[in-house]
Amino acid sequence: MDAISTKGLTRDYGGGKGIFDLTFSVGEGETFGFLGPNGAGKTTTIRHLMGFLRPRAGSCAIGGRDCWRERENIQRDLGYIPGEISFFNDMTGAEFLRFLAGYRGQKPVRQKELLDRFELDPRGGIKKMSKGMKQKLGIVAAFQHDPAVLILDEPTSGLDPLMQNRFVELLREETARGKTILLSSHMFEEVERTCQRVGIIRAGRLAAVDSVEALRKRHLRSYTVTLDTPERAESFARDFGGQQDGCRVTVTARQSLEEIFLHYYGGGEHD
Amino acid sequence: MINTTLYLRGMKGSLRLLAVLGAVITMYVTIIISMYDPELMATLDGFVELMPELMAAVGMDAGANNLLEFMISYLYGFILLIFPMLFAILRGNGLVAKSAEDGSMASLVAAPVRRTTIALTQAAVLVSGTVILLVYATAVELVSIAVMFPGEVAPGDLLQVNGALFCLQFFIGGICLLASCVFSDTRYSLGFGAGLPVLAYVLNMLANVGGDAEKAKYFTFFTLFDPSGIAAGETAARAGAGILLGAGILLYALAVAVFDRKDLFI
Repeated sequence: MDAISTKGLTRDYGGGKGIFDLTFSVGEGETFGFLGPNGAGKTTTIRHLMGFLRPRAGSCAIGGRDCWRERENIQRDLGYIPGEISFFNDMTGAEFLRFLAGYRGQKPVRQKELLDRFELDPRGGIKKMSKGMKQKLGIVAAFQHDPAVLILDEPTSGLDPLMQNRFVELLREETARGKTILLSSHMFEEVERTCQRVGIIRAGRLAAVDSVEALRKRHLRSYTVTLDTPERAESFARDFGGQQDGCRVTVTARQSLEEIFLHYYGGGEHD
Repeated sequence: MINTTLYLRGMKGSLRLLAVLGAVITMYVTIIISMYDPELMATLDGFVELMPELMAAVGMDAGANNLLEFMISYLYGFILLIFPMLFAILRGNGLVAKSAEDGSMASLVAAPVRRTTIALTQAAVLVSGTVILLVYATAVELVSIAVMFPGEVAPGDLLQVNGALFCLQFFIGGICLLASCVFSDTRYSLGFGAGLPVLAYVLNMLANVGGDAEKAKYFTFFTLFDPSGIAAGETAARAGAGILLGAGILLYALAVAVFDRKDLFI
């Protein structure tokens, strides 16, 4: 059974904005990258998955449950990092985490470990926290009850490279522990390093869904060059990692996801 | 039905406003009651004669001949209407619309808690605050009467008047919570949540002036609150309070239903 699935999910905001006929699924234990530029519809899709918005057409489900009708049952085993973090500004980080545990009625079994991992001291007031600190608090809040499904909306925004690495490590560990993860991002590296499959969304429509590996392969380019002598061909093959066949050497160049991305978006058009 | 953790947070958030309003109510109630003096009544009646429209607008009529009627004239036309109403407006807006607007609502709905539970909890916070405020006002009134004019007012009569006052404030809270649940933009939630009760109050002031303006009483729910009638044991006054209570329950139910079904852009 698919852990997360959408079928013909549509929400038209008018003026070409919104999401249109979105169909994709994430298998149980899979880490799925949801790639797209700002305004492509990633957050709108996630709001439907979270049960914040009622689908106008189509449907979406998590663990076989309808995301709108059974939202509170789905939430029991779900962790969520919002794209725009906004917590209760009148609380300290520690108070907020305690509030969440009490409010959800779930033990924050991983809280201490996560606070240590991200070197977050939660005793300060949320109002005075930097963007990065709030993001860390959001990570702890999403993972502290050890949910089976994680929906993460641009979770590394505001984190420095060191903390981004720690977050990627955390995701890999969670994947190894069999968690299902939907990671929305506009950063390829993050997705490339953590996800097995990627869905690319553009202007509210799914442009491609494929494994990270297949996406790379599809955009593999080969060149065959002919050299004067087999000796020269041999050294050329050695230097450029090509396949030698007499005087001919075949070299391949992989496009980075960045370039693949540009391919789907038609040259950096960000809307 | 309600979430205890969220309820306690809500009550904590009401604390400061309750303290401020409680202090204001203490001041006015003790001062007004201390001003009761059959001889001084003549002075106040003098004001009423001087500027009858203005005094009537804020519910102060001449000729009160006992302490309860005196209190109804000078406390239940303005102070005990406005200050609990202020609480309902500010908290009603803050409990739902404000957190939907600033996005902190995400933490509440992204949890294994029904939306109806969230809305009912916030409704409970609002009603609890109103109850605390009115119970406190009643206590201040009873103590002031006991200290300054022992035996002048039958506690049962005062409790009935305050019971009706609760029905009115409960209804106003319903308006505020409904506005807060319908609109995610605080400009509109405050606009309706504050605008409707204030408009109704202004119409009530107009109606009190009398003359042609008295017709305004048909356009304001404040007419359903008739403290003199309650004190006199009139059935119509009790029915008015009952209507406010019933309509209030409907408003709260509607607010919960709206919140359960609405799209949240958080």
